[in-house]
Amino acid sequence: MPTSTILPATTVLAAILLLVAIGTPALAAEPGAPSSQELAFFEAKIRPLLVAHCIDCHGAETQESSLRVDTMSGMLGGGESGAAVIPKDPKHSLLLAAVRYDNQHLKMPPDGKMSDGQIKLLQQWIEMGAPHPDQLASGGIQPRRAPIDLSEARKYWAFQPVQPPPVPPSDKKNPIDAFIGAALEKQGLTPNGPADRRTLIRRATFDLTGLPPTPDEVNVFLADDSPDAFAKVIDRLLASKSYGERWGRHWLDVVRYADSNGLDENQAFVDAWRYRNYVIDSLNEDKPFDQFVMEQVAGDLMAKESDAQEGYDSTIATGFLTLGPKVLAEKDIVKMEMDIIDEQIDTLGQAFLGLTIACARCHDHKFDPISTADYYALAGIFKSTKSMQSFATIAKYNEKVLATDEEIQRKEKLDKAKAEKQVELDKLLKESTQKFPDAKEEAYPDEVRKQLAALRQEIAALADQAPELPTAMAVQDATPESLRIHVRGSHLILGQKVPRGVPVILQQSEPLNISDGESGRLQLAQWLAHADNPLTARVAVNRVWRWHFGTGLVPSTDNFGKLGVAPTHPQLLDWLAQRFVAEGWSLKSLHRQIMLSETYQRSSLASADNGAIDPENQWYWRGNVQRLSAEALRDSLLQVSGQLDPTQGESMLSIDKWKLVFDHTSKDDTNYDTQRRSIYLPVIRNNLYDEFALFDFATADTTQGDRTTSTVAPQALFTLNSPLFLDAAENLAKRLHEQQPNDDRARIELLYQLTLSRSPQDHEVTRLLTTIDQLELALREQTDHNQAKLQAWAAACQCVLASNEFMYVQ
Amino acid sequence: MTDLSPSNMTRRCLLKNSAVGFGYLALSALLQAEARQAMGAPASELAHFPARAKRVIFLFMKGGPSHVDTFDYKPQLQKDDGKPLPFDKPRVQFAPTGNLLGSPWKFRQYGESGMYVSELFPHVAQHVDDMCFLHSVHGTNPSHGGALLKLHTGSDNFIRPSMGAWVNYGLGSENDNLPGFVTICPTFAHGGAKNWGSAFLPAEYQGIPLGVASQPSTAANVKYIDNPRWTKDVQRMQLDLMNAMNREHMAHAQSEPSLEARIQSFELAYRMQSKMPEAQDLSQETADTIEMYGLNDPVTQDFGRQCLLARRFAERGVRFIQVTHSDTKVQWDQHGDLKAGHTKNAAEVDRPIGALLGDLKRRGLLEDTLVLWGGEFGRTPTCQGSGANGRDHNPEGFTMWMAGGGVKPGYRHGATDQYGYYAQENKMHVHDLHATLLHLLGLDHERLTYRHAGRDFRLTDVHGLVHREILA
Repeated sequence: MPTSTILPATTVLAAILLLVAIGTPALAAEPGAPSSQELAFFEAKIRPLLVAHCIDCHGAETQESSLRVDTMSGMLGGGESGAAVIPKDPKHSLLLAAVRYDNQHLKMPPDGKMSDGQIKLLQQWIEMGAPHPDQLASGGIQPRRAPIDLSEARKYWAFQPVQPPPVPPSDKKNPIDAFIGAALEKQGLTPNGPADRRTLIRRATFDLTGLPPTPDEVNVFLADDSPDAFAKVIDRLLASKSYGERWGRHWLDVVRYADSNGLDENQAFVDAWRYRNYVIDSLNEDKPFDQFVMEQVAGDLMAKESDAQEGYDSTIATGFLTLGPKVLAEKDIVKMEMDIIDEQIDTLGQAFLGLTIACARCHDHKFDPISTADYYALAGIFKSTKSMQSFATIAKYNEKVLATDEEIQRKEKLDKAKAEKQVELDKLLKESTQKFPDAKEEAYPDEVRKQLAALRQEIAALADQAPELPTAMAVQDATPESLRIHVRGSHLILGQKVPRGVPVILQQSEPLNISDGESGRLQLAQWLAHADNPLTARVAVNRVWRWHFGTGLVPSTDNFGKLGVAPTHPQLLDWLAQRFVAEGWSLKSLHRQIMLSETYQRSSLASADNGAIDPENQWYWRGNVQRLSAEALRDSLLQVSGQLDPTQGESMLSIDKWKLVFDHTSKDDTNYDTQRRSIYLPVIRNNLYDEFALFDFATADTTQGDRTTSTVAPQALFTLNSPLFLDAAENLAKRLHEQQPNDDRARIELLYQLTLSRSPQDHEVTRLLTTIDQLELALREQTDHNQAKLQAWAAACQCVLASNEFMYVQ
Repeated sequence: MTDLSPSNMTRRCLLKNSAVGFGYLALSALLQAEARQAMGAPASELAHFPARAKRVIFLFMKGGPSHVDTFDYKPQLQKDDGKPLPFDKPRVQFAPTGNLLGSPWKFRQYGESGMYVSELFPHVAQHVDDMCFLHSVHGTNPSHGGALLKLHTGSDNFIRPSMGAWVNYGLGSENDNLPGFVTICPTFAHGGAKNWGSAFLPAEYQGIPLGVASQPSTAANVKYIDNPRWTKDVQRMQLDLMNAMNREHMAHAQSEPSLEARIQSFELAYRMQSKMPEAQDLSQETADTIEMYGLNDPVTQDFGRQCLLARRFAERGVRFIQVTHSDTKVQWDQHGDLKAGHTKNAAEVDRPIGALLGDLKRRGLLEDTLVLWGGEFGRTPTCQGSGANGRDHNPEGFTMWMAGGGVKPGYRHGATDQYGYYAQENKMHVHDLHATLLHLLGLDHERLTYRHAGRDFRLTDVHGLVHREILA
């Protein structure tokens, strides 16, 4: 056996210890460098522990969870969960938390806990400042994983400031066409010409209002020869209140709007509708988008001009933060609160910034430059915001009374008076039962009966004078408090405290200026809506583009991060973004700009040559064919069959506040029986209205700026068999007969005009009439002659309503 | 010019839009696999390794049946009845509990395996030699909603696809005319449709509910499967007219693959209108079978019908069938009055489940059908309620069981402590249960992923350990 090499580890350590002990005092003199005694302690007590228990999995050979503890930098840099050792901070050193088995998700060593004495040694060592021989090497110790390289990260396109790009030279008036045209030319694509005018008005009307044009509207447009005829159509549609009902609904997808909590306990959100109507109204009045954003994040903190409706609106707007699905029966209330904050960050990040910030709750974002520190900086703002009344299960969201102080005081006074009268009444009743134990109330003496009646009347009158004051789901500031980093997202392992703020990568030169006394929500809102924020305007115009065209310039509308999809037309995106800001964040102006472009007005016809190059039309050589959304489908069925009720809805929930939509009984008492537009139907999480669930309605649980379109058999079953379709068909048939009682052909002309905005061709008339005859014959076996005829027409109308031409907008 | 040839669209686009069915319609298996891949599924589809089970029947006991009163025999609990629990209760509890409460039921051994079952389940007990008890299942949430969501979707605070949807996505349907995932009489409470939803997976993978817990199982039908107005003849005429209109529209309009897909979806729906009632038609069953499932007894008929439907769907190749036992009041949730409540509940399900196991075995279906039984959690060995005769929610350790489908028969896996409070040996987290279930179906839980919002998601998130000890 060779003599020199293999010695038991303990011997080696002993030798090192000896060497250290006899001293290299010069080294200890360096500032911050460990003393020789400290190093001796490490070698004698700590290194053996690490060698025996840790380095098999966290050493030079293997690094489970990216952690190695055989070097100081490995321990400082830590693994996936963060720093293993923070010198002099045992409380936040994960190594210690792990060996203490403090948290069920982090117990090391896994095969058995160290002894209390061993754990104490590790604690002592960290308290000392974690002296380690690596610190003697030149340059000191650097954490293994460098922090996010911000200057490198800022090069990513979405974090670059929006720069107005030069419009490519072109003969096109509308810069959109110049940008799109340049790309088409580069790809060797020849764009389609304009769609015919019937197609165009149908496209624009569905697009801006979610409804088909009426035959009159089509005729007016066809008869208008002026060059701005289409611009007039757009203006008319933008001015109609249906616009807000269509585009408000788009926004509701982004903010995961719902009328119930969903998740574990499906609490009714009886006041959510106020937020919904606020959105509709904001869009209809073309509220500047920056203001719209700010109100939703911090409307309660913005300066108000009056106490009246405008003030209430900005309070109602903060419902945005409370509308999310929450685990309301969570018994671990700290976890409940952090889950709610997480949901707020997730929605805020995706909705306004197109960033999946919530990924950084447990670890630094794997792809985007968002650290856990960034996450907890934001989380601090929401921790300092009161979103819930309390966390006692089943927890209740925070709400605000929509009334002036005077109104509230008046109500309190009347309530008090009512309560006093009630006491009087109760007292009298009690006395009477004692006095006349065997008599019913009717048998009491007149005087007593009169007294009782008078009291009851007074109570009723007071109740009438003081009805329940309206309330809104809304947040308010709480005691400001910055948060510590929650290691692995667990509130049981806390790391360093981070001041409240926004992700460093997106800071405008300075951190937000948040004083100790405020939550920082107002500053957050102002920062979001700031013209220099590189994401807010880009994300917004991209959403609008997506809702017009069916795909975004950035196809991943809710993710502008590295794992999103890069913009197809980055310069156009920036041009639109800077124009949007320059035009005062006006959405209506943006619609006009887009819809007046040739790009928007192209026909959707296929072309073999173009299709070979760009089958998915990502370069916009043609118009996209789009299926009606769930809401547009239902609303159109109601409109063409003459059933649509155009009035604005309030709450359609028949359930009391704080009650559960579904409890153990699984009984669905939600009422969808209305002819109002679909946006006013209750959105019940965990059990959406059937037609919504089938036709790709938004999930209502998370931001969804890019709805999918599925084609599945249950949709066909619904189309064939549901009361919605059957009733629409029958009412449409009746409407046709009322308007055209005698002429079959005229009736079919009207059917086509109402449903498809065109005249039928001869063979279509013949085909329909032939089928109606056959249907009538078959139906006559079941019903009488007149009924059979109407039913046959209803059956045929159903086919038109179920047809692809009705379901898809060209 | 119109050109509808596939070369005029990308393959992805075509495949994406061809997914019209409950599974996939009229495409070869290869194309199906490609379609799934196009939508982000792993390249190794269909299965990752040989499957031991082809389908799952999940018998879900809503409310949380007590393991220490049913399948997890704890003699020490009987001995120490009334004494305080000699160790700490969990940091987070649903509600306070008192001292230990012995089980009011007797246990005895059954079969060659000699596994203990309480007198609540005499019929199920006859099949212990085909069953595999999982004594060490544990979850993370002591509330119904969180626990239901965790069990069904793997997450109690994020919106995730349900396990049935994942299975359906991973394996597709074996039957073109029926859904790949049905859930019979599901509960709308505590997660509701989330528990059979597809979340970000494509819609065709979600469970199709038949009825709802608040209605008797006689009313368990797919919604809109019947037409209240038209006869089949009239509907056929309608379809022919629609087809003519749609074909013409497609020919002179534009190439749009979903237009063709939609035409096909109507034909499939039309076929389903006859196939679904056929699958649910119990008149084809023998009197013996009807009797065996307890359909002649008012106590057992409701759940018995669900179990019999489950067998019929299994026979027809439905991939994931969930059956829910949940009455309209408190289900298995006996915070008080344990004895009366569990007696009633067990009486409703014992005989039907016993019948299902026997029937599947007799027909050779048990070999490749995995039966899974359990609730969202178990119950505490400590007492609760005004009469101290109930038990609280206990996610810390409880028993589920499996049968058939490649699991070790007559086998007990894992254990709780001497009273049944905490899972102790071979602890099986709900994530592990999911990983093992997928493994039995031939799916690797780490490779069954779907890309959404920039991330590859899994049923087991970043967790899950296959418990190989229970594989046959």
